[in-house]
Amino acid sequence: MHSVWQRLKSDHYGMGGLLVVALFALATLTVWTGLFGQGWAEVSGNSWESTSAAHWFGTNLLGQDIFQRTLFGAATAFEVGLVVTGFSTLLGAILGGLSGWYSKGWVDEIILWIKGVLDSIPFYLFAAAVAFALQGRPWAMHLAMIVTFWTTTARIVRGEVIRIRQQEFIEAARAIGLSQLTILFRHVLPNTVHILLVQATIVFVAAIKTEVILSFLGLGIQDGVSWGLMLAESSQEVLAGHFGNFIAASAALFLLLMGFNLLADALQDATDTRGAMT
Amino acid sequence: MLSGCGEPPSTQSEKPVKVYRHAMDGAPGSLDPAQAASVYANFMVVNLYDTLYRYKYLARPYRLHPNLAADMPTISMDGLQLTIPIKKGVHFIDDPAFENGIGREVRAQDFVYSIKRHFDPKTRAQGAWLWQNRIEGLDEWKSRGSNYDNEISGLRALDDHTIQITLTRPFPQLLHTLTQGYSSVVPQEAIDLYGQQLSSHPVGSGPYQMVSRDPVRAVLARNPAFRAEPFDLQTEGFDKPTQGGLGLEILQGRVPPFTDRLELEFITEDAARWNAFSAGEVHFIKVPVSQFDSVLSGRDPLALSPQFENIYQFRASQDAGFIYTNFNMADESIGYHPDQRQNDRNRLLRCAMVKAFDWEKRNEIFFYGIGRVFPGVLPPSVPEYDANGDSGYILRDLEGARKLLQEGEWNEDNLPVLEYGFPNSVTERQIFEQFRNFMMDIGYPPEKIRPLIFATYGDYQRAYSQGKVTLINSSWTMDYPDAENNMQLYFGPNAAPGSNSSNYDNPEYNRLYRSASSLHESPERTRIYRQMNQLLINDCASITGISRTLLFLWDKQALMVPDRSFLGGYYLRFVEILDSTTVVP
Amino acid sequence: MKEISFITRRLLYGIVLVVGVTFISFLLMVYFGPDKTFELIGKNPTSQQIAEVRQSLGYDRPFLLRYVDYLFELGTLDLGLSDTSGEPVESVLARSLPISIALVVPGFILGNLLGLGFALFAAWNRGRWPDKLIMGASVMGMSISFLVIIIVLQVFLCTPYGLNIFPVRGWQVHDFSSYLHYVSVPTLALVLVTLGYNTRFYRAVMVEEIARDHIRTLRAFGASSFEILFRHVLKNSLIPVLTRVMFSVPFVLISGSLLLESFFGIPGIGLVTFNAITSGDQPILKAVVGLTGVLFVMALTLNDLLYGVVDPRVESS
Repeated sequence: MHSVWQRLKSDHYGMGGLLVVALFALATLTVWTGLFGQGWAEVSGNSWESTSAAHWFGTNLLGQDIFQRTLFGAATAFEVGLVVTGFSTLLGAILGGLSGWYSKGWVDEIILWIKGVLDSIPFYLFAAAVAFALQGRPWAMHLAMIVTFWTTTARIVRGEVIRIRQQEFIEAARAIGLSQLTILFRHVLPNTVHILLVQATIVFVAAIKTEVILSFLGLGIQDGVSWGLMLAESSQEVLAGHFGNFIAASAALFLLLMGFNLLADALQDATDTRGAMT
Repeated sequence: MLSGCGEPPSTQSEKPVKVYRHAMDGAPGSLDPAQAASVYANFMVVNLYDTLYRYKYLARPYRLHPNLAADMPTISMDGLQLTIPIKKGVHFIDDPAFENGIGREVRAQDFVYSIKRHFDPKTRAQGAWLWQNRIEGLDEWKSRGSNYDNEISGLRALDDHTIQITLTRPFPQLLHTLTQGYSSVVPQEAIDLYGQQLSSHPVGSGPYQMVSRDPVRAVLARNPAFRAEPFDLQTEGFDKPTQGGLGLEILQGRVPPFTDRLELEFITEDAARWNAFSAGEVHFIKVPVSQFDSVLSGRDPLALSPQFENIYQFRASQDAGFIYTNFNMADESIGYHPDQRQNDRNRLLRCAMVKAFDWEKRNEIFFYGIGRVFPGVLPPSVPEYDANGDSGYILRDLEGARKLLQEGEWNEDNLPVLEYGFPNSVTERQIFEQFRNFMMDIGYPPEKIRPLIFATYGDYQRAYSQGKVTLINSSWTMDYPDAENNMQLYFGPNAAPGSNSSNYDNPEYNRLYRSASSLHESPERTRIYRQMNQLLINDCASITGISRTLLFLWDKQALMVPDRSFLGGYYLRFVEILDSTTVVP
Repeated sequence: MKEISFITRRLLYGIVLVVGVTFISFLLMVYFGPDKTFELIGKNPTSQQIAEVRQSLGYDRPFLLRYVDYLFELGTLDLGLSDTSGEPVESVLARSLPISIALVVPGFILGNLLGLGFALFAAWNRGRWPDKLIMGASVMGMSISFLVIIIVLQVFLCTPYGLNIFPVRGWQVHDFSSYLHYVSVPTLALVLVTLGYNTRFYRAVMVEEIARDHIRTLRAFGASSFEILFRHVLKNSLIPVLTRVMFSVPFVLISGSLLLESFFGIPGIGLVTFNAITSGDQPILKAVVGLTGVLFVMALTLNDLLYGVVDPRVESS
């Protein structure tokens, strides 16, 4: 892990990405700790005020402060991203690990079957269906994403576990009589952490992007505000000449996604030993 | 010649095809008359099918006029029996459903059949509420199995051209129901052939017939066989002072429908609809509120911007309906409570919320400040409207609201959690957030007013019908121009799943409603209705209401007086396009 | 013998997948799905009328029975009538699917061809500035939301705020020029949103291919770049490229058209699906999900079979 960090540090783009992500994470923390962004729901001005000292990004139709909403939107993005990434990575690691460890066995077959089924349903339709099934419950969107995003992680982990399984130290562990699951969870899966890390950043990006689309389709978050909701609002406003919501939300979205994408690339390069040799 | 419903009939002629292009702000669902529940579906159905009566094109307030009926009905002394003659020689359009594919004559029996369909469970009809328990023998016909061979004593064809309806009790609104798409005349042959697919194969006798339809547009062509009835300005209720400048005079004596083809564009997004209109893709638009600012040069009086004056005609119209937010009175946390003290406290809380509601702001943000706010359920569009009504009910009074909260011993900790329901849309969400802000101003904790968002309108309806929503934001579109249609919204027995979504149940209100049910519009009924309105206000059962001011713009090429209400739609046959754009078929 | 057992196993697996896909989609879309009862009853309904509507929608029937019916419907392609318009679902699909195909095909092809082109160019110049430029642009492209791209293009190309040269909505296509008129902006949007991903994916494939010994040898022997790239690199990487193309078809068709069509008011399968979601039209929803699922599984199975026959090693990997 230490060498990964060393390699990452020498990647300027990656560090730039990390910096952007860190800034957004900081903004999120200020929202979560109640410092800023608490007035996102409050009407604090008139409709369509332009930028001013009181309203840095102006106001929306209702007279709410767009800056506060953008800031709160960052917190929403992180909340969605962290929850989805956390659970889908965990699920992907466990199921992918089991699947790889018992490859060709019935456990593997069942997991592959579930994966195949989930991969065969167009994503937005699946998300819509989950949103229907859990209508009115705040975690419907998160669940829809977790249930679909773990499959890619699982596929990658499975391949890696199959590779690691054939290595000597595993043979050794078997020889001293450790149980199958102990070997898998204590000795095999920890060796996939670098892959999980890269995959997690990719899932994070996907989760944020998906939230935008689902919120636009009306299947997104319930209470609160997100960049997706701001964009949905703006899609009605830009043609009437009001660009505040649109510029704020799309710029914030672009910056954060760009940061994550750069970070993901750098992490991939830093953890890919093959890439480092050539 | 066999034309089915496929080809526009005017393709054979040499003269240019006159096309009227119309933008609708929503798409119709089913076009089976028995299922024409939405404004959009009704709008199309009354042009594809015939109804016995319609409203006069130009007269306001609305006045009835015979359509398929040959005359106004003859009514018995007790008012319970109506005899209606229908026109002879009216034919359905040619369709494979008929023998040899040629449309047969429309008979009185077809009308009887069409109403019976609403009482046949197989139809999945939505209009039965208009007539149930009102026409002699109709409900029994259903309970005996909806067999079309069985006669109904109160709904009969005396001969091919005479209908007789016998009522069980006085029903002053009956003729209004006979103008609705629901009561359109449908031939049995078409149902036999198409069944539930009638929706996509309309077979009627109206001024137009279907050419094509998809989720974003429909094309209708003139029904070449539509009866020739010359247009007469006086009969249609022409009012020279207000309608003189529209150029309608040249239509005098000509035979509608004046256009060969209707192209209806269903554009739900406001911005896209406005763009299509400004680009000249459609002749008519109901202007989206977001564009009011650019369209109008003044609010009082409403005046069109100079840049548009030369190209567009303009009309403002009061929506026949209103928008309101009901409390669910069946919810013990805010509505009726068996304990008297708690019941009183709940009323104080509701009244405080009514006082906290800022109609001026609501009007300003969502209706450009030109909607009409009024107390209760009698909007300015009905004659019972009382300009001197209880205006305190619609004035914001934060001080008074806080006082009521104090009186009811309500505070941040004991205020109930409210579930505010709405079907998902950007605007609905904004309306909710604004509501929550109004309540925050009297100290209602925002986390205690929760959004309950539904993916479809049907799921929202189900939820509030099952009492799962505390605050129900609704809009009511009047089915007919009679205030009775609004009063029934708070009649106890109409409680959920009926249209009384507030579950308001006041014995005095119910008694008054019943006592007025046999009355036509009259000073006596007006007195009763205003009394009921005041009861509703005193109980603070609903935060109500606002009636939208709609703005219509249309190309000067088009000679017309548009109407977007549930009663509208009949005007399409009278639209004329000058100097028509030639369409090469 | 081995081949036959392989084929049988693959086919059986395909069937098991179809059962899973249909079951999940049925469970979510129908059993827990939207309820249209209250939209289809008249005002002031009696409880009997509510029951009648539920019955006519089939909501009152046992779950398993409805599921079996659903399988039959999919199998016979007799998909029932739309709950909203009363039209047969088959004719709704038959009308809207060609529109969606016409809508997304140009963008899909262009997105892949341009992606391939950029990828080849970048891979050939690996590590030098063209590579860095292309990869940087790809990352930027991947960081822009589809929604943002659509809104920006619409404002700049279809409204008076911009050039205003394309229609803001609709699909009134009757000849090639009107087709171009309506398809241009959606195509551009689709290309922009897919190009970044495609370029990166294809570049990775190409880089691996170029690094192979025989390509190195060719390069050392001075074969022309053009010949190497097109006769060898592209040809050898055809399989991963085609696989990607094939598997993205159903998703581009449904997910891509969902946003494009609801935004541009184009009456294709995406808009039909969007409307079915927002109006709770179960017969359409379950047909769309079921059919795409089944088609995907069929493509997957066919793919595996072809590979298995062509290259026996696939089976063991």
